[in-house]
Amino acid sequence: MAVPVQYYLVFSTLVFCIGLFGVLTRRNALFFLMSVELMLNAANINLVAFSFYHGNLTGQVFSLFTMALAAAEVAIGIGIILVLYRNFADVDVTSATTLRW
Amino acid sequence: MAESLAFEFAPAIAVLPFVSFLVALLAGRYLPKKGAIAGMVATGGSLLLSAWTLFAVHTGHAYQQTLYTWVGGELVDFELTFGILLDPLSTLMLVIVSTIAFLVHMFSLGYMNDDGQTGLPRYYAELGLFTASMLGFVFADNLLMAFMFFELVGLCSYLLIGFWFREAGPPSAAKKAFLVTRFGDYFFLIGVVGVFATFGTSMFGGPGVDDSFVHVAEQALVGEASVNTFGFEPQTWFTILGLLVLGGVMGKSAQFPFHTWLPDAMEGPTPVSALIHAATMVAAGVYLVARMYGFYALSPTALAIIALVGGFTALFAATMAVVKREIKQVLAYSTISQYGYIMLALGGGGYVAGVFHLTTHAFFKALLFLGAGSVIIAMHHNENMWDMGGLKEKMPVTYYAFLSGSLALAGIVPFSGFWSKDEVLYETLVHGLGGSPILLAAYAMGLIAVFFTGFYTVRMVLLTFHGEPRSETAADPEPVRWNVKLPLAVLGVLAAVAGVINLVPVHAVVSAVPEILHDWLYHGPTGLNGEHYHELITNDAFAGYTSGELLGLGETGTLFASAGISLALAVAGSLLALVLYRGPDPAEHTDKLGALKPVLFNNYYQDEYQVWLAEGATVRVARLADRFDRGIIDGLVNFVSSLSLFSGDRLRRVQTGIVTNYAALLTLGLTLLLVAFGVMQGWFV
Repeated sequence: MAVPVQYYLVFSTLVFCIGLFGVLTRRNALFFLMSVELMLNAANINLVAFSFYHGNLTGQVFSLFTMALAAAEVAIGIGIILVLYRNFADVDVTSATTLRW
Repeated sequence: MAESLAFEFAPAIAVLPFVSFLVALLAGRYLPKKGAIAGMVATGGSLLLSAWTLFAVHTGHAYQQTLYTWVGGELVDFELTFGILLDPLSTLMLVIVSTIAFLVHMFSLGYMNDDGQTGLPRYYAELGLFTASMLGFVFADNLLMAFMFFELVGLCSYLLIGFWFREAGPPSAAKKAFLVTRFGDYFFLIGVVGVFATFGTSMFGGPGVDDSFVHVAEQALVGEASVNTFGFEPQTWFTILGLLVLGGVMGKSAQFPFHTWLPDAMEGPTPVSALIHAATMVAAGVYLVARMYGFYALSPTALAIIALVGGFTALFAATMAVVKREIKQVLAYSTISQYGYIMLALGGGGYVAGVFHLTTHAFFKALLFLGAGSVIIAMHHNENMWDMGGLKEKMPVTYYAFLSGSLALAGIVPFSGFWSKDEVLYETLVHGLGGSPILLAAYAMGLIAVFFTGFYTVRMVLLTFHGEPRSETAADPEPVRWNVKLPLAVLGVLAAVAGVINLVPVHAVVSAVPEILHDWLYHGPTGLNGEHYHELITNDAFAGYTSGELLGLGETGTLFASAGISLALAVAGSLLALVLYRGPDPAEHTDKLGALKPVLFNNYYQDEYQVWLAEGATVRVARLADRFDRGIIDGLVNFVSSLSLFSGDRLRRVQTGIVTNYAALLTLGLTLLLVAFGVMQGWFV
């Protein structure tokens, strides 16, 4: 018998929490992007695990979609970071606060 | 046929002066007399047409026609119209107004044109509009139309009083006249709305008008009709309506306490004063009471108030006239006093007496003002009587005409004023003796005023025309021309003989002598004639006046006793003045009045208290209201807005602009939700 589905869930939770930790603590925008990528992949793990558990391919198909989405998101994210760098000469997210209030 | 033709032309009576207004306004500066000729032609035409309609009413019947309906149709349940009502009262008044207006135009040629005044086209334009509005007011067939023309009359008097607007006095006097009369008109307007709300119509009546508000009110009181009286007893409500309309009347007719504008109105050109006092502005008030007399006759309270106000004003104004130094001031107070008499007559149940005095007063007061104008021309616009004297020989036409008017004003037999004033007092006396102490009190005030009237009138004549000249201009006065003398002569004759239209005491002895005015007013259309008013006055369901007699004298005896008393008082007043102010160089006797002197010179401090009411009381109340408005009302609104501003300012601090914070909040929110969800579902148990 294969690995039970609970193990996958615990694993994906761990990966998601690492990503969340990165988002909450890092100030560098590139690390932000990487952390978000980790959280997305945690979700992908869940999708594939449940797909396997239920015995159909829907989950796997959706995880493909998510990867495509993640690629697009990274493209836009890096674009934003580039602009951020040009305007503030830095990629620190806490320094880009001129639009508040 | 001829009479219907007269009625067809009747609207032109008011239209003609209006055309002269337009002509003088638009083309006056190119005309040889700057519009005077146009004005004279127009008012002369009005006079002829008025006389024609008077004749047509006399030979035929009264006439009413709606000319224009400006609100009406199926969607509204009332109609607002313009129309004309020609009955004995209105045609009589039309003749009076157009006569005086014509003579005033002629006199203005001497007073304004010969004097080289500027702004003449404006003067004649305003004079034309003034005449047109008054004529329109007189033949109005409903209360709303009457109100509109009433306002126009007020506007024109404002313009004319302030004619010399470059000086300091006239504009201020004009504003005062406008504001004081407008204060009264405010009540009048509410009264008009009340009449519409109650009766759905404001028609005065006349042939073919069955449901005039006067008639409906009468039927409502005897229970034959029902109207919405807003929870009051019908008679109480009708009294309230009557008193509201009376507010406008008291403002225009300068009755206490709204009389203060009139003496100031002397700032206007003298011919205008003559027009205002004799036939237009001031007469409009009492004419309105006479016009809707059938309505006032329903309410003994309203009549009593009219009589009291009238009697009090008659006495009050007469005492102030006693000490005045300017000739026009004396005449101004005498006007207030005489209109008090007319009000007294109307309130005392003497409809005919009131109209009679209105008629004779129109003639003799126009005469006195024009006479005063002639004196003022002669004196180079010095109005102080103490600078005059000795003008008798220099200007005989003015003197004799003025004397005729003065004797009429004083009420000396046989001049017109005697007959009318006597009838006013007689009617009030008999109805007072019939069991109305209020009327008796009003009568007593009117009677005492006769003494003062005699006094100030004779004093004015003596100071102006007798004795030695007291200044250089009086010794060598400016001569006046035919255009001043002719109106004076015409009016002088009228003032002397106008009494023949109602010789009541003579009729009582020799019944062959007719009471022309009495028969004329009794001959009017159903519901609008003197006979009907007499029935209303004496009916217990309405005013409920009864006639009494002086102790054991009988009706005729009372009539002669009343005439005798008033004549004796008038003669006594005149003789006192004659004794005090005769001789070549009369002395001023006002010091003998002691403490009364400053009170009389300051007109009982009426202006002062009204100024205090305006500046002391009203401004203070307004300031308080302003403080309440800006403090409480605005403060509340501002508090609410500043509260939301403040909370918004605090709340937006949440938006730090740091992405990490947002993510933390997001996570925290999700965690909290999960925990709450779990607690509710009992996961942790």
